[in-house]
Amino acid sequence: MRVMARLARPLLIFGFAFALVAVWLAVTFVSASNGGPLSGAIDRLSTFTTIFLGIFIEAGPFLLLGTLASGLVEVFFNKDDLNRLIPRNPLAGAIVGGMMGLFFPVCECGVVPLTRRLFRKGLPLSVGVSFLLAAPVLNPIVIASTAAAFGVGPVLYLRLGLSLLIAVITGLIFAAQTHPEQLLNPNARAQISGASLDSPPPSVTFPMGKGSGVGAMASLRSGLPRVMSIAADEFFEMGRYLIVGALLAALMQTAVPQTALLAVSAGPVVSVLAMIALAVILSVCSTVDAFIALAFANTFTIGSVLAFLVFGPMVDIKSVIMFSRVFQRKAVAYLIILPLAMTILFAVFMNFNTAW
Amino acid sequence: MSPRLYRTLQALILAALGIFLLQKIWSGTLYWYISNRFLALTVFAAIGFLVLAQNILPRRRPAAAPVDPDHHDHDHDHGEVAPAWGLLIVALPVLLGLLIPAKPLGAAAIANKGVNTSAPLAASREAVRLDIAPTDRNILDWIRAVNYAADPVSLNGLPADVIGFVYHDSRLGNDEFLAARFTLNCCVADASALGVVVQWPGAASLAGNSWVRVRGAVEASTLDGQRIPFIKAESVESVAEPSQPYLYP
Repeated sequence: MRVMARLARPLLIFGFAFALVAVWLAVTFVSASNGGPLSGAIDRLSTFTTIFLGIFIEAGPFLLLGTLASGLVEVFFNKDDLNRLIPRNPLAGAIVGGMMGLFFPVCECGVVPLTRRLFRKGLPLSVGVSFLLAAPVLNPIVIASTAAAFGVGPVLYLRLGLSLLIAVITGLIFAAQTHPEQLLNPNARAQISGASLDSPPPSVTFPMGKGSGVGAMASLRSGLPRVMSIAADEFFEMGRYLIVGALLAALMQTAVPQTALLAVSAGPVVSVLAMIALAVILSVCSTVDAFIALAFANTFTIGSVLAFLVFGPMVDIKSVIMFSRVFQRKAVAYLIILPLAMTILFAVFMNFNTAW
Repeated sequence: MSPRLYRTLQALILAALGIFLLQKIWSGTLYWYISNRFLALTVFAAIGFLVLAQNILPRRRPAAAPVDPDHHDHDHDHGEVAPAWGLLIVALPVLLGLLIPAKPLGAAAIANKGVNTSAPLAASREAVRLDIAPTDRNILDWIRAVNYAADPVSLNGLPADVIGFVYHDSRLGNDEFLAARFTLNCCVADASALGVVVQWPGAASLAGNSWVRVRGAVEASTLDGQRIPFIKAESVESVAEPSQPYLYP
């Protein structure tokens, strides 16, 4: 078995490389012959690649920002300060977690590595879960883009309020677990030694918020290379999940006809389910999804548009795949099901009780 | 794989991602993938990838040196973080970008996405511009015009001069085709297609997905309940693909 396991990786790499070469040969061969039954397949492959690269080029920079933020937290953020800032009370903690996005402006790609880093620094599970779910909406960039798309009005307030509410409730449910650490992936659990001991004594202080009691952990000159090396490692670790997610989303987009989804814009329940499915399939970044939701605001029910705006940033194909680097499988399931159930509940309730 | 080799490969892939993005920006094909409002962010990312690559590239220094960048990884999830196939997956955007011929979304994508005029219309609710001279209006402007004009019939007979790609929609007659464009808000993942119906005797002989310039008189019409402009073409000539293939609502 050990030999098999040792052989599996090189075989996988060779298989992968071989598949790529095969695809390339097929593409050049078919585009040279021009026409015939295969050219349709090549067109579809081309469309698939364009959508995949579109998602990656759009989401990649945000993931890079998230990993850089994670590196900065690791190098310049003291574990004890973190513990001092977070309230002991689970409810207060979950609310603080939900609001933390206002100070760490990250979207749903960047929030995953940052949350894991904070878990490793000893952030309580409920606070982190609430942060993970709410931060992609409750942050300055997304608030600005939602206000730009829908104006400062009920849609903006409901989006912010519902996101925070669902995040806090989910955080509290996680807080009720008797062994919260067991829900975390081993690589996300808090370390026994809090501060890294290999950093030299601080000579230049790195201010991170006035009077917040954040100490300087390392000098800028010795710290920044470490930030970069952490960011690079995390970009490679999370990036491969982002890329697999983008591949799946692009595959869904080239295989599942969206016209069918959009045919059900009026039903109070069906429209909500359709918009949630669309949010998951599109997998667009929360910083811009308001503009996409706007496109459906005229035809779809208000509840379904809100469901798109609330659920999309919490759960989509690429973020679920990245969750698995932070949580155990059971916890990932909770993180999908709890927000899903609450979003459907609120959205359907709204459809039955609001005159829009 | 030695940590040094791993770091070197990481640096090479990051540099490749940065150069890939810069090449897309330089050649203008970046806009085949995302909206132009992401240009600044993409430039930042390209530079960020290159700076990261430069910083993690192992220096020529004995492995035992105290500030070897690899040393810091030991407070990190080691071993698990470093499967070689992970490197390959992160290189995938560059590999696919090089292997598969790059194309903007075209007629093949409509088959799945469908023609949807309501989405781009709603997104542009705030910025309806009906004051453009008729021959300067693009396909999106005409869609807006027939949907927002108080009396669509008043548009009838106006001269149109639009560019789009040919889509043979099964709902249309033999002498008709759709001159289509994609509109997008953020990236091609949210693109939706719209078009004007063109009546032209040689419609059947036009190759699907080829770009054409259509001139003729407009009529307000409907297709499956969607208000859509109809052009009785006086001329249809083939043109080169525009440098900016999509329209932004």
